[in-house]
Amino acid sequence: MPVDPYVVPALDGVAYGLLVFVAAAGLVLCFGVAGILNLAHGTLFAVGGYTAAALLDGSWPSLALALAVGVAAATAAGALVAVLLTRVAAAGHLTQALLTFGVALAGGSLLVAAFGPDDPPVRVPAALDGSVAVAGHRYAAYRLVFIVVAAVLAGLLHLVVRRTRAGMLVRAAVDDAEMVATLGVSPAAVRVGVLAAAGALAGAAGVLGAPIIGPGPDTADAVLLLSLVVVVLGGLGSTTGTLLAALAVGQIQTLGVALAPSAAPFLLFAAMAVVLAVRARGLATTRTAT
Amino acid sequence: MTLTLPRRSRARTAALLALVLLAASACADDGPAAGSGGTVKIGLLASLSGTYQSVGKDIRDGFQLYLSGHDGKLGGRTVELVVADEGNGAATAVPAATKLLKQDRVVALTGVVGGGSVAAVYPLLNETKVPFVGSNGRPELKDVSRVWHTSYLSDEPGEAIAAHVRDDVKGSVYAIGPDYQGGWDELRGFTEAFAAAGGKLANPDGKTTFTPFPATTNFTPYFARIKASGADAVYTFYAGGAAVDFVKQYAQSEIKDVPLYAAGFLTEGGVLDAQGDAARDIYSVLNYSPDLDNAENREFVAAWKAEHDGSPTTYAMASYDAAAVLDRAIAAAGDDATPEKINAAIGQLGQIASPRGTWQFSPTTHAPVQKWYLRQVRQDGRALSNTVVGDLATVGG
Repeated sequence: MPVDPYVVPALDGVAYGLLVFVAAAGLVLCFGVAGILNLAHGTLFAVGGYTAAALLDGSWPSLALALAVGVAAATAAGALVAVLLTRVAAAGHLTQALLTFGVALAGGSLLVAAFGPDDPPVRVPAALDGSVAVAGHRYAAYRLVFIVVAAVLAGLLHLVVRRTRAGMLVRAAVDDAEMVATLGVSPAAVRVGVLAAAGALAGAAGVLGAPIIGPGPDTADAVLLLSLVVVVLGGLGSTTGTLLAALAVGQIQTLGVALAPSAAPFLLFAAMAVVLAVRARGLATTRTAT
Repeated sequence: MTLTLPRRSRARTAALLALVLLAASACADDGPAAGSGGTVKIGLLASLSGTYQSVGKDIRDGFQLYLSGHDGKLGGRTVELVVADEGNGAATAVPAATKLLKQDRVVALTGVVGGGSVAAVYPLLNETKVPFVGSNGRPELKDVSRVWHTSYLSDEPGEAIAAHVRDDVKGSVYAIGPDYQGGWDELRGFTEAFAAAGGKLANPDGKTTFTPFPATTNFTPYFARIKASGADAVYTFYAGGAAVDFVKQYAQSEIKDVPLYAAGFLTEGGVLDAQGDAARDIYSVLNYSPDLDNAENREFVAAWKAEHDGSPTTYAMASYDAAAVLDRAIAAAGDDATPEKINAAIGQLGQIASPRGTWQFSPTTHAPVQKWYLRQVRQDGRALSNTVVGDLATVGG
């Protein structure tokens, strides 16, 4: 079988996988640390996407501005979700899911009311609005740069979780929340911090990923679904597992579709079912190993 | 998936509501008719919320544009236009249509974006014997004696352009489209007529490639397959968000220099703005373009631009024509414009002058026999626009 036709899908799978990673990392943090299944997570991504569509005008400063505004807006939205959740924090996953699902529906409607029902155009910086030659193939320049940026983001996230005090608290909260509380750290503060950080990640992914998964009325659902798949595949509380799962999702969605287009509708969920059947805890690791 | 649960229960509630309304109004006796005071009640059902609201609003605005250009009258009678929201599909369309037909007792119904909504409303039309002049969605229907459409059938765009693609492209053509009823119909229309004209598909198995809908947002893997197939051109149909993704990614892909032919919805209306420069040079087939050179169209476009930003779409044009059809039919129905008489009059209209050029209803399908145009996305002043570059086949019936 010739490898050549599959170079671009494989490369695209990396771009797509890293985007899904940055988007899903926030959801994993929420679920793993705060024990909250935040169904409004996709909406936070959409907030970033719409910000990008509204502010990007093809110049570099507009990209910086969009990134700053999008991350700030999504962080604020994430913190808002955390505040709304304060009263039902102990009420179990179903109540939380209902509340955040309601927030997602309301947020989605607000976004459509503010930005219109159509998918707005996203203008990337002019220097990146083209394609470049990669191993004899044409590939979108923006996506190539995105791979580098997202890889840096992934590395930074890994370092923060592994090396900083905040990251240690987060990991400690994953392992034993009660012990963290006895050490004098409010679990509520950790929860707000984690949801805000998750919002920031989703916002960054939304702004930077807007040219790949563009903002629109369906974006929130699509991103939430992909993120949930990553959560299931990668397990909780492990950035490595999340990264592997996200890259796998990326390859399934691109290389998998290129290899077996007739199976495209169910490839992703077939893979999810297989992983669950073989390793119910997810692809990479258990909860404790990071 | 828990996400589908609320939607499903909403559908159930809507169905229940429809049933209650149905029962409540079942005892109503005499049929609706135009009031003696010279007014006539028309119902317009279109998606004013949800995924298709841009299409629905074009349909509403197209109809109202005709009314405001004719002193608010159709067939010499003052029109009371009752507008209802179709929402995302059958679940919301049925209660809205029930209200229009049984409570407001309109003499004719128009609009409706989705084919699924039309199919769901269809039994109500048969029950109330009210004529329906649809301006967009058109599913397979057994009996069209009271159903008329000013739009098109889904397999007609492909059928109209197939011979041109066969002549224009020296080689094989790759067919790709979304995996749902609309996509199947659009692509079947093309591939059947293309094969009949002696064309060869580049798809490895000789069959159209269908992409999961609406899940597909990344078309790069399909572009890799098209590249590998050695196709000399691509034919496709996408609409809405999928059309934006497809076109933008196509322009940066390995096959960006392979000519792209499409059913006109790929670059129609709001999606063209979102696609921007990526859409440049795409060929598409549609029954309308705002730059058509005829008196009706000049009047229509000028009136549209006086009230709206940008050029009118085929959706607005079809609804404008639905108003024109009702205008002539109500006039022909005489003093006592009952739904039955209006329906009979529609069947006798003959040629209809329209912004798209002259057309007429097919006696068998009750959809237009009309000319289709080859358009190309080109610069028009500051904006990109679908510019007519030639006439294609006259199709319909």
